[in-house]
Amino acid sequence: MAISGRVTERSIHNRVLANLQRNLAKGDKIQDQLSSGKQLNRPSDSPTGTVSSMQLRAESRANEQYVRNADDGLGWLDTLESTLSRASTLINRARDLTLQGLTGASSPQANQALATEIDQIRESMIGYANTRYLDRPVFGGTRAGSVAYDDTGAYVGDDGRVMRSVAAGENGKVRVDINGPDAFGPEGASVFDALTSIRDHLRAGDSAGLKADLDDLDQAAVSVKTAISEIGSRYNRITHMKDSAQDRVLSVTSQLSEIEDIDLPKTIMEMQLQQTSYQAALAASAKVIQPSLIDFLR
Amino acid sequence: MASSFGGINTALSSLYAQRRGLDVTGQNIANANTEGYTRQRVVMQSQVGSISPALYARTDGLGTGVAVSEVQRMRDQYLENRGRTEHANSAYLTSQTAAYAAIEDVFAEPGSTALQAQLHDMWDAWGDVANNPQLPAARAALIQQSKTVADGLNFAHNALASQWGQIRKELSAYVEEVNTAAKTVAQLNDSIVQAKAAGLTVNELEDRRDLQVMQLAKLTGATAQTRPNGAMDVYVGNSTLVTGFTTRDLEVVGAARMDQRAFQPVSVQWADTETPAGVGGTMGSMFDTVTTIIPVISDALDEVARTLATKVNTAHNGAFRPDGTPGGDFFTGTTAGTIAVAIDFPDQVAAAAQAGRIDGSVANELAGTVTDADGPDLLYQSMIGNLGVAAQASSRRTEIQATVTEQVDASREAQSGVNLDEEMTNLLTYQRGYEAASRVLTTIDSMLDQLINRTGLVGR
Repeated sequence: MAISGRVTERSIHNRVLANLQRNLAKGDKIQDQLSSGKQLNRPSDSPTGTVSSMQLRAESRANEQYVRNADDGLGWLDTLESTLSRASTLINRARDLTLQGLTGASSPQANQALATEIDQIRESMIGYANTRYLDRPVFGGTRAGSVAYDDTGAYVGDDGRVMRSVAAGENGKVRVDINGPDAFGPEGASVFDALTSIRDHLRAGDSAGLKADLDDLDQAAVSVKTAISEIGSRYNRITHMKDSAQDRVLSVTSQLSEIEDIDLPKTIMEMQLQQTSYQAALAASAKVIQPSLIDFLR
Repeated sequence: MASSFGGINTALSSLYAQRRGLDVTGQNIANANTEGYTRQRVVMQSQVGSISPALYARTDGLGTGVAVSEVQRMRDQYLENRGRTEHANSAYLTSQTAAYAAIEDVFAEPGSTALQAQLHDMWDAWGDVANNPQLPAARAALIQQSKTVADGLNFAHNALASQWGQIRKELSAYVEEVNTAAKTVAQLNDSIVQAKAAGLTVNELEDRRDLQVMQLAKLTGATAQTRPNGAMDVYVGNSTLVTGFTTRDLEVVGAARMDQRAFQPVSVQWADTETPAGVGGTMGSMFDTVTTIIPVISDALDEVARTLATKVNTAHNGAFRPDGTPGGDFFTGTTAGTIAVAIDFPDQVAAAAQAGRIDGSVANELAGTVTDADGPDLLYQSMIGNLGVAAQASSRRTEIQATVTEQVDASREAQSGVNLDEEMTNLLTYQRGYEAASRVLTTIDSMLDQLINRTGLVGR
């Protein structure tokens, strides 16, 4: 307050103006916060808050990306799983047909018919093995091309792995594909080789050969079932990680809101206080400035 | 014994003095709201009668009335000096705060559309390429997002450069204003010294000079000192701007565009000696803004752009395109102003670690850069954090300084401002004084009438 005892109209005027200005500036800030809903509108409002907010936004975006990666990975695994279970059903059918051929009761014509059906099954199997997800053969590793197996049942993919990052770091990467040989048996002992062999032996009526083929087919069936169970466990892992990434997004969002958003009741209270004091200041200055000695001199 | 008519003269001197008092009061009231006006006071002095003894004329030692010895200007030089210093500080900080606010506006952080969000969108696009390296759509989206980031960096750089250029221009304009104001002060010095030598009152001229010097203080942080002959010397830094009737010119030299500042440093200097002038006030703040504040931010932004380009280019160079050829550079340019996306077509994006495979491992690696401790995102965050700290400190200091300046102004106003109540009281006092002096005159007149016209009539 004033150092000197002397007060003039202009000094009152200046001080009143300065105080009203300060009051208005405060009101402006509160209005800004209320209308934007944010207490953090520029870095200087809170430098530490700004940096935290930017870090939290980065974390939130990273986790959202993990969720999207996980969704994509689940799409792959879904495709693999449904393809392999259908393949497994087909293998069972092939086994039944082979057993029919083995009982020996059937005529060469019937065996021919069985062989034809086995051939159909083989072609369907190759079709399954060439299943594509978003235009990529899911059993082909990282091979650039549209098929994993050629028409003869030979593997043309590679041993590349398709990985999805569903959490931070190396541990957060999960494999979402399976190579053809891992699912359908290794080259030379694959389900396709077994089916080819069964077809040929059926046509030739070679029971001993068929018996050996049956063992090969069972081997291949085990391989497919193992693949299905492995895919199931990966599916579980990705689902868990996706859930935790989603939880993280939620908690980051609430932290972000705590830093950036206004406390509505508190801000409204502040605005009320500011308005009251502004009105009081206006009323007081209107009263103070009015009278002077001139009013009382005749 | 004194003369019989001495009293008439005494009353007359009083009539003169009271009227002068009324005139000065009128002047004060007339200028009650004039900026920079200093209230004036009539200083009256009682007149001493002759005190030299003589043989036949003996004095009775009685005074012979009143005289106006001076019309005093009620301004305190020390308070004025303090006022100039505080106003200079205030001007410096206000200009600085405005500069920081403009820089904050350029970045518009924290927000969901500003540069950081654009960077996030780009890393997400790398993530999408990692998930589906075989899809041209994901690659095309990546190129677009990367262009947005490059544009964002270019925009921020250009906005800083344009702010820099504008302040540099204002600096030149202010130098002209300072030189003109200095010449005005010198001219006023001339008039004041001559008038004072002739014994005239030049209070109004001094008011005008104080206003000019205050303007100089706000612009350059100038200080001033009055000489015994009435002239005022003005100093900027430690050198004289105005000495008596002569002035020295200031000038601004150096680059007109921000990008040239390294080769032609901007300097505010004396035109005659070409030595730097330590300016304060608004110009000092502008000088600091173009030499330190904006360059620091601009360099930090360049560092962000360089880190981004290096990081992505290193990975992209080691990766393979879908057709099996090496990726090459993804970004060209290593500063915020020059960075651009080097590739145009989706099949030029390299995401595979091994040639000839549908593989997104390199893209996946890049998508993880978002949280890298030495990545562009964290550099950018710390840059914004530093900007916030500096801007907040500046704005708080401005608030504190505003209060100090206000208090000094209140003291100055208390010393030199016109109080109308006081003037009305003076008006009454002088009016009554005038009336009373007239009454004295009437009384002496009727006394002399008695003596001259009605005395010695015995026997007539």
